[in-house]
Amino acid sequence: MSGQGQLATDATVKPEAGGHTQLAAGAPELGNVSIRDLNHRFGSSVHAAADVFLNFAPGEFVSIVGPSGCGKTTVLNLLAGLLPVQEGTISIFGSPPKAGRHDVAYMLARDCLFPWLTAAQNAEFGARIRHADRHKRQARARELLEAVGLKGFEDNYPKALSHGMRQRVALARTFCLDSPLLLMDEPFGALDAQTKMQLEDVLLSLWMKERRTVVFITHDLAEAITLSDRVVVMSARPGKIIADIRIELPRPRSVTDLQKDPEYHKIYSKVWEKLEVGLRS
Amino acid sequence: MTDAADNRNYALYETIVINVARLVFLAVFFAAWEYIARNRIVNPLFIGTPSEIGKFLWNGLFVEFSLIKDLYWTLGSTFLAFLIGSVAGIITGLMFITWPWFERFSDPLFSALNALPRIALAPLFLLWFGLGIWSKVALGASLTYFIVLSSAVAGIRSTNADHLTLSRTLGASQGQIFTRVTLPSAVPTIFSGLRLGLIYALLGVIGGEIIAAQHGLGQLLSYLAGSFQISGVFAVLFILAILGTGLIALMSRVEKWLLRWQ
Ligand SMILES: Nc1ncnc2c1ncn2[C@@H]1O[C@H](COP(=O)(O)OP(=O)(O)OP(=O)(O)O)[C@@H](O)[C@H]1O
Ligand SMILES: [Mg+2]
Repeated sequence: MSGQGQLATDATVKPEAGGHTQLAAGAPELGNVSIRDLNHRFGSSVHAAADVFLNFAPGEFVSIVGPSGCGKTTVLNLLAGLLPVQEGTISIFGSPPKAGRHDVAYMLARDCLFPWLTAAQNAEFGARIRHADRHKRQARARELLEAVGLKGFEDNYPKALSHGMRQRVALARTFCLDSPLLLMDEPFGALDAQTKMQLEDVLLSLWMKERRTVVFITHDLAEAITLSDRVVVMSARPGKIIADIRIELPRPRSVTDLQKDPEYHKIYSKVWEKLEVGLRS
Repeated sequence: MTDAADNRNYALYETIVINVARLVFLAVFFAAWEYIARNRIVNPLFIGTPSEIGKFLWNGLFVEFSLIKDLYWTLGSTFLAFLIGSVAGIITGLMFITWPWFERFSDPLFSALNALPRIALAPLFLLWFGLGIWSKVALGASLTYFIVLSSAVAGIRSTNADHLTLSRTLGASQGQIFTRVTLPSAVPTIFSGLRLGLIYALLGVIGGEIIAAQHGLGQLLSYLAGSFQISGVFAVLFILAILGTGLIALMSRVEKWLLRWQ
């Protein structure tokens, strides 16, 4: 552990005090999320993230793709404050990451619903933990359940919902939080192709309404291109960033229409080339 | 449509047949028992007679109420034993989870106590708590306690790691995590422990009453057996079987309601 890493770890404990000392070096604008010179190792042999340098503009939808085991989840967990920063700095709206910050919402690959809560109760769970006003959060949860296509299923327990429906509830729960930064780790990774497309559409429409900053991890290149403003490609371990490609497809986008769009396929093959290089290295 | 109706009719028909068959079987069984005892093919001193058993039940339940009184003592002790044993078990389980060093420290002691045949403690409890209900409550509670303790620990440990991660990223406090995540996750496991614990509370109480008591079905049982009133013994056994079944049914009802999400 270097001295710099030590500083960042300390800062995690005291977010208020740590913020400014870290920003002095590169001074990213407040409101941005940034990662600089990040390195993360598990033990001495696994180098999961190598010299990662990324900026996320407010309202930007950024996907990170890369071969399995390259360190995507690690980067996301560092942003979420679930892992201590070892080396480098991460700044989230001007302060270091910390698990439980209210300006960050995290969505896992598994739906992670509570089986003893109904769909509506699950959807408002996060807001409830964060002490949001009861009437507002309940109304919002119902609204979101309708938006994700679960009207009429509000009082169902998760056991009575299909896999895709459960992930819809998880989406509703994430959007029920008013965090400006959303971290998503392969939220649709375990779904079949068709359900995945439906949920991508749902995610896009939810996101278009509010334009929050999204960091979206996926191993599905098509999904990354469909959803994002930028696609970041990581190499195999040690996970370095080997491409950062802006996706100039107009919005609003429709997932099904994009499949027929030649522009989309052009971008796809361009990003695929980069990813192939990454896989080979 | 008609198929479904046919199926339903068939199911109804089947239940009726099974119940009639059961009644017939019981009638034949008791008639044979009565016949064998009356004609002294087997000495009724050992097996009683169904008519005497019926008379004893009728008297005890509806005329002299003696069975009702004993039932009341036994039920009361069982309830107290269950309550004390399970509350103490759950609290100890929580302490084990909160302070792992405490569990490691006390593990040999708890293992030894748990392995000890608890009935062997009865003379000690009689000495400490007297002939009244408290020695029975202590015996029942000592059985319930360890069962509920181990199920509480297992239940709390079974909390899904993803649920905990999610709660952490939401910024949940320790108290919120406990009441909203850990406890509900543990309920199914704790409940299977509670159900078993209730049966064992009854076992402990009856055992204690048989050994030495002034009231209760166990005491009645040992008195009747000691004075060779075999029909009375069978009557009490019958009541105990009903009682056990009733307690289990009650627990199942509560469990079904609490775990309606499963
Ligand atoms: N807690 C941990 N302890 C030890 N090694 C870990 C830990 N978490 C991750 N690793 C290792 O770090 C590397 C990167 O893991 P990570 O989960 O970030 O990969 P990923 O890019 O998300 O992969 P996938 O696409 O399969 O989810 C892997 O080789 C993994 O074995
Ligand atoms: Mg991953």
